[in-house]
Amino acid sequence: MDRTAELDASVPGRSAAALARLLHRDCTRLLELYKERESFLSHHVPEGERLVTLALCPEALTTAEQVGHVRSALRRCKELLECLITREVEEMGKELEGEYESLRMTVKDRLGHFVHSTGALLENGEDGCPPSPNFECAEGQDEVEGSGSFAAKLWTYRVLLELIHWTDSACQTLHLFHTEKQGQQQLL
Amino acid sequence: MQVWLPLALLLSLGVTHSLGQNDLGELPVPRGLTLQSNLPEQTLFLTWASDSSHFDVEIFHTELMNVVLNETVAVQANPSTGQHGWSWHSPLPLECTSHSVHIRARNQQTVSQWSPFQTIPGSDIPEKAGSQMFPQDKMVAVGSNMTFCCIVGENKDFDRILYKGQEMSATRLSRRTYAISVTNQPPSGNTSTNVVCSSQRGILTGAVVFVGYPPGDESLVCETRDLTSAECSWKKGRDTHLRKKLSRTNYTLNGRDCLEANEGKIFRCNWTVWDGNWTLVARNPLGTVQLTDSARLTDRVHLLAPVNVTAVDVKAWNATLQWSWSVAAYKKLDMICQLRLTGHEQFITHNYSSMGLSSVVLEGLWPDVDYTVSVCCGSLHSFWKWGDENGPYRIHTKMDRPDSPDIWIWMDGENTGHVLWKPLSVMESHGALDGYEVSHSTAEEDRWTTVSLPRDDFSYPITLNNSSNITIAVAARNPAGLSQLSTMTAPVYRADSQVSVSELLGTDGGFNLSWQPYANASRGYVVEWVPSGCSDLCPVHWEKVPESNSSIKVQSVSLEAGVRYTISVYVLSAGAPVLLQRWHGYTQEMIPSQSVGELSANQVGPDVLLSWKAIAMEQQRGFIRGYTIYLANATRLELIGNMSDPKVRLYRVRSLSLGSYKFIVKAYTSAGEDTGSTVAIKLEMDTDMLVVGIVVSLGAMFCCLILISIFCYKKREWVNKAFYPKIPGPKVSGDWSSPQGPLDVKPSPHSLVHIEETPEWEFRKKVLVPVPEEEESENENIEADTDEPTFLRYYNQVVGDSSHSNHISDSSGSSAASVGSTQTEITYTGLQSPTSSQGAYGGGGYKPQMQSAAGPAEPQLEFVPDFQEESLNMGYKPQCSRQFDSPDVGNISGSLGSPTSVTSSQFLLPESSEEKPQPSNTWFHNLLSGKS
Repeated sequence: MDRTAELDASVPGRSAAALARLLHRDCTRLLELYKERESFLSHHVPEGERLVTLALCPEALTTAEQVGHVRSALRRCKELLECLITREVEEMGKELEGEYESLRMTVKDRLGHFVHSTGALLENGEDGCPPSPNFECAEGQDEVEGSGSFAAKLWTYRVLLELIHWTDSACQTLHLFHTEKQGQQQLL
Repeated sequence: MQVWLPLALLLSLGVTHSLGQNDLGELPVPRGLTLQSNLPEQTLFLTWASDSSHFDVEIFHTELMNVVLNETVAVQANPSTGQHGWSWHSPLPLECTSHSVHIRARNQQTVSQWSPFQTIPGSDIPEKAGSQMFPQDKMVAVGSNMTFCCIVGENKDFDRILYKGQEMSATRLSRRTYAISVTNQPPSGNTSTNVVCSSQRGILTGAVVFVGYPPGDESLVCETRDLTSAECSWKKGRDTHLRKKLSRTNYTLNGRDCLEANEGKIFRCNWTVWDGNWTLVARNPLGTVQLTDSARLTDRVHLLAPVNVTAVDVKAWNATLQWSWSVAAYKKLDMICQLRLTGHEQFITHNYSSMGLSSVVLEGLWPDVDYTVSVCCGSLHSFWKWGDENGPYRIHTKMDRPDSPDIWIWMDGENTGHVLWKPLSVMESHGALDGYEVSHSTAEEDRWTTVSLPRDDFSYPITLNNSSNITIAVAARNPAGLSQLSTMTAPVYRADSQVSVSELLGTDGGFNLSWQPYANASRGYVVEWVPSGCSDLCPVHWEKVPESNSSIKVQSVSLEAGVRYTISVYVLSAGAPVLLQRWHGYTQEMIPSQSVGELSANQVGPDVLLSWKAIAMEQQRGFIRGYTIYLANATRLELIGNMSDPKVRLYRVRSLSLGSYKFIVKAYTSAGEDTGSTVAIKLEMDTDMLVVGIVVSLGAMFCCLILISIFCYKKREWVNKAFYPKIPGPKVSGDWSSPQGPLDVKPSPHSLVHIEETPEWEFRKKVLVPVPEEEESENENIEADTDEPTFLRYYNQVVGDSSHSNHISDSSGSSAASVGSTQTEITYTGLQSPTSSQGAYGGGGYKPQMQSAAGPAEPQLEFVPDFQEESLNMGYKPQCSRQFDSPDVGNISGSLGSPTSVTSSQFLLPESSEEKPQPSNTWFHNLLSGKS
């Protein structure tokens, strides 16, 4: 049992998978908190394309490439979240210090850690996706119809949905990645 | 005719003139109408050129040409430009749909033609195909009304508009525009109020509105802390509900921004110099509040807290406290300082005043006590408020010698007692006690014997010699020294039996005592109370009363309800305490905790005697006022006795019938009865008395029999004559076996009474013969005609010598002649059985009434057939052989109820019937008459 645990701990991707699961749970909770604040979003299903699309990255063939894929998506999600935080702080100030405000900072920090840790996994060049272009906060918001605070709320909602989607993808991909690596080590 | 012509002319002129004013061409159409819109303000500004000053204005929603405004306005031309200008505030955001305007000039009733339409396009034009809602991010006051419009995107359907989650009634303004109106808006929640426009598929668009209040701040007050600058503070008003950073309240004091306050954390603004007048402006997008304050610096001194507070000289009863000031200017300020001490469950404040006060001596402290001290100061002149408080600081005072203890001597016997003293409180001990020293001496001994006791001891046993008193002295010791001595001489022991003891009932958990003042009570009195009946380690309490008082309320936590206390008042003087008065009392009486003991029930004849023992004093819990006796039935208790004298513990329940009984005896106090003791008893016949009765009865009977036997023996000759007379031999004349002829006697079919005359008897006798019931049952018809009892019928006949023969001869054929006779004198001399009555009587002379014992069977056998054969002809008929269906029944019935006279002078005693009971009146009568 101990041997299995040691072997499991030494397999690459294990901590990243755990971090992805944690992120997914945090993002789900973050969306719940936002829905409590903006109840009109309770049953809202946004139309249109995703905010985060990786058209430049070809369809991933290997698990490692899939890891690189979700890493790029979550990096973009992190940028979107930073933009969201900046906008909310500008609008509401820093006085609001509820669970939502603290959790969004936690998610941002963990996303940075996730991007860093998955980048270390892919140091051997398995990341086949080209680097994403720099993101500007103004981008993306045009995709939401209307303007003003209401549009910002819809956009925030979509950003949070993107976070949940891509952290879920990261969980699955990293689990697969971890399983494959574990199998390879056992064969060795 | 000439009159009508001028009138017609005037009318025609008038008509012609009026037609000229209605000419539309006379007023020029306004020129150059232009529209300018202020979208955030929802205002439309119209300009045009015209010579008129009054205009009709019409505004339409362009698409559906709904009239929004139709109004006549007076607008003067701008002298410099010559243009007319007029603005209109739209309740609907101008973006919602296109608006078209035209005007015309008016001069009273004269109007020009309408100007061409001018249109300001809305956002619902085809070029803007997306969904939109207006207004966006508007900020309004609570209670205001608003109209929102939703422009549905091209090729999208409209479903509803929700305001704060509630569906509102929408009005269609154009092909794509729908509007709702909201009145009296409530304040927004955490962020804003959402207005959502939805299609069937989901959210199309939306807007938020910030609904809140203008600033509500109040009470601006400025004061100085350093005698130079100003510090202004105010109370924050109600929540504005405006959360956006840019819509929060902004504060300026005398025109300068209050940065601290604008961050929303504190509501204070500092000013470097004392201006004397201040104006605070609080502003948010919904309104402005202006607060002012004005004061002199010396009137608004709010001192800072002193620093470096230290206790420099702490003693047992006082301490010196020093501090310093962080502001040098305070040293020249006349100030008042308040020191607040908290120690030993006390809160004390001391005020001190002086210029630049920085040291005080705290008086009134107690030794060996922990105090906490806090200091705050204020301006002595024009006092504004106490300054900031420092501390608290801790001070512990030094120890001092303890107070002398309060002692008492409790005597529990003639020569034994205990010296008692009360524990010293912290206020009395002045430090942790080490112990006590108890000294005692007698009158004979001119020296003190001292004993040291630990601090946990509060009593010391003493033994008195019969010869002299003993004097006790007690002192307490702590590290600071020994207290003064408390001395007392042992009082004389007085048992309850030696003094008069009164009953006492408490009030409110205590005892109200009063006594006659005693002249020699130079040192006052001592009230002592102890649980009655207590021995050894008794909780003895006492209270000393000054000599000026002769009453006290004993109120102590040591007093318990339901416990009997012995309360004694002693007089304190130079010598030994003297008992003045004593009571037994309860602070509160309760019902006895235990029932009476040893309850027994004893049967005394038909009575039951109940007896029991008294309840022990500890269990009485009140003065026993008496006992109640109950008889327990199946379902309830029946009170049968109430004994109000508690000393009587016997009760007799009288006259009870035999059976089982259950008695309950309850003792009661003023609080009520106890649960009761139960005893059961079964009342039975008194066997001893029964045996005695039987024996006595038997003895009496035996004696009677002996007496009768003796009497009979003595009078045996007479008895023999009276009961067994000599019977002469029968004289048979003629043929005994055959009847002499028919007898003219018809005895009653019921019974026959044969009365024969005995020559020896001188008095006449009447003999009754009972009729057998068998015969009666056979003669029911006859019985129905008689008044005689059915079970016994007598034929009475006066027995007489003269009537004997006549009676026989007369009764044969005319028995009816005696019916109804009431003159018959009857003497009952004997009863003859039916069997014996069957004996036939022939003519005169003695004839045996029964067949002889020697041969009764044969004559009877012979006789019955003869009788049956000759019954119709013979006068004599056996009683047992009567036939009711015979023709003679009628005659028999005719004699029913009438006595039949039968002559008899002899007892109808059969020879063999000695066991038959004889009528007692016969021999008794003879006895009385002196016959032997």
